[in-house]
Amino acid sequence: MPTSTYLSNPDVSVNSVDLTDQCTSATFTHRFDQLEATSFGDTDRNFVKGLGNHEVTLTLYMSYAATETYATLAALVGTATNIVVKPSAAAASATNPTFTLTGGFLAELPVINATMGELSTVDITFTGGVFSVSAP
Amino acid sequence: MYTIVSPRVGTPGEEYTPAQGDHIDALLQGGFIIETSKPKAPKSDKVTPNKE
Repeated sequence: MPTSTYLSNPDVSVNSVDLTDQCTSATFTHRFDQLEATSFGDTDRNFVKGLGNHEVTLTLYMSYAATETYATLAALVGTATNIVVKPSAAAASATNPTFTLTGGFLAELPVINATMGELSTVDITFTGGVFSVSAP
Repeated sequence: MYTIVSPRVGTPGEEYTPAQGDHIDALLQGGFIIETSKPKAPKSDKVTPNKE
């Protein structure tokens, strides 16, 4: 049994808009391109770090009401903005680091994703931008 | 100067200070903030030199 676990309950904001109450899934990936650096004489493959290629994927309940999901995202399609995710809503700390993607690009937004009898949700992905983590 | 309207962005009525990378047009278009002009400083009284 693990000595410490984390019950998913992150704090999520997009373009400084708090969307925590509309969000059911958040994946923030800190990633770099992997460049092959293997050469003759090597007996194993070697890789070096390339460009940063970070990504944030969110699942949000869709709402067309004022200042809700659609109002937040509609004007962001085709642009870059900030996405901030913390493990919890508590103040940022060493055990609650703030992960920020500055300039994440939103290429597409499903404006309708409806299934009979279900609450509508949309999956969106921000790519690119600068990753940073702050833990005062 | 921008003022917060929606509690999703902060406390309504307080000044909104954009963070680096924030998309201001999207916040304005979504009705989260409004643009307000800075209060003008009161004009000073005109001083006329005494003619002596």
